Amino acid sequence: MSLVQIATETVTSAVSYVDLIGTTTDDIYMIAFNNVQPATDATQLVCRVLVNGNPDTSAEYDRAGRQFRTHTSVGTFAGQNETFTYLGGAQSGTNTSETNQGNVYLYNFNNSNEFSFATFETITTDYAQRSYGLKAGFIQTELQACNGLRIYFSSGNIASGTFTLYRQVSS
Amino acid sequence: MSEYGYIPEAPEQSFGNNKGIFNPKDIYDLTRADKYTNYGQLELIETQNITGVSSTTFSNLGDYNVHFLTVNDFQPIQNGTDLRIRFISNGTEYTGSFYQRALQYGTNGGTFAEEKSTTGTYLRATFNTGNATNEKTSSYTYFYNLLDNTKYNFTSHQISNIGAGSHPEFYMAFGSGVQTSAVSMDTIKLYNAYNNYEADISLYGIRYS
Repeated sequence: MSLVQIATETVTSAVSYVDLIGTTTDDIYMIAFNNVQPATDATQLVCRVLVNGNPDTSAEYDRAGRQFRTHTSVGTFAGQNETFTYLGGAQSGTNTSETNQGNVYLYNFNNSNEFSFATFETITTDYAQRSYGLKAGFIQTELQACNGLRIYFSSGNIASGTFTLYRQVSS
Repeated sequence: MSEYGYIPEAPEQSFGNNKGIFNPKDIYDLTRADKYTNYGQLELIETQNITGVSSTTFSNLGDYNVHFLTVNDFQPIQNGTDLRIRFISNGTEYTGSFYQRALQYGTNGGTFAEEKSTTGTYLRATFNTGNATNEKTSSYTYFYNLLDNTKYNFTSHQISNIGAGSHPEFYMAFGSGVQTSAVSMDTIKLYNAYNNYEADISLYGIRYS
């Protein structure tokens, strides 16, 4: 078996964030999440790397990606020197199925000699019931060992969702 | 009661041949021992920690319909170059214009474009990567039908890397490719066209995909 579950959390009552901790080897890790919905309408799913369990708030997050939208043309998704980075391609909502789902591959999180990389794909139904697919990546440009990822909304709490961290065994 | 609900002795368990009643711990233990039937799981074939070569091959493809390749910390000697894919069958490397590819890339600075070819001689495993400290690429690629001599060989991939520009210049890229010979391939070749490179590369098979 090459995909080992490291941590999982199912949110059924509101929490301000979910910490997935356990990127403690040099393997590649994968996070899968689904049915992630905010408690506050029109807010976007975001994340920060964890260093010794604490979120890194420094302005060292860069991102690039493409949004695929059902109601209009393809959009760009880019930013640099941000204090967090986005996982959702749009602001999700509190009505039925206005949720986020996706997977995130984490590279070099345990390696203090390299930047932390991620590739991710997410699908979001926004607060106006429009669908946004997002294929993207981000880096956190500080040479440090990160032991996980904090996932939260840009405002308000997480109302529900399931989050799982896996280690992809490479030896 | 002994293991898996049997008295007094449990039958031998193996993939595709499980007997008994399993609790969560049984399933966990059998899965770790690769004895629990779980279609679609990733199975590690080989990991190569590469340094100081311009080319490497993965020649054990097992019997999988779908393969999954991860590349971590790819860095070329030649600045701004990529890691490329070709296929080999019975010792013959397919070097001609058999490869078609299309990918979309973008930067943290907001530059987005496409890269495509209908007459390529390779597919991409990474995008163009810098050679300065910490300029690396992480990516994954799915391979479909490599062992099927009646179908084309398809790939899809997603890439996250730092290019040769300033800031650092962060790139994302995603795309697909196809090799249009209906030939059973037995080897994946990963090479840099200009000089040596380093990378940690793992090849997995997806069981019963």
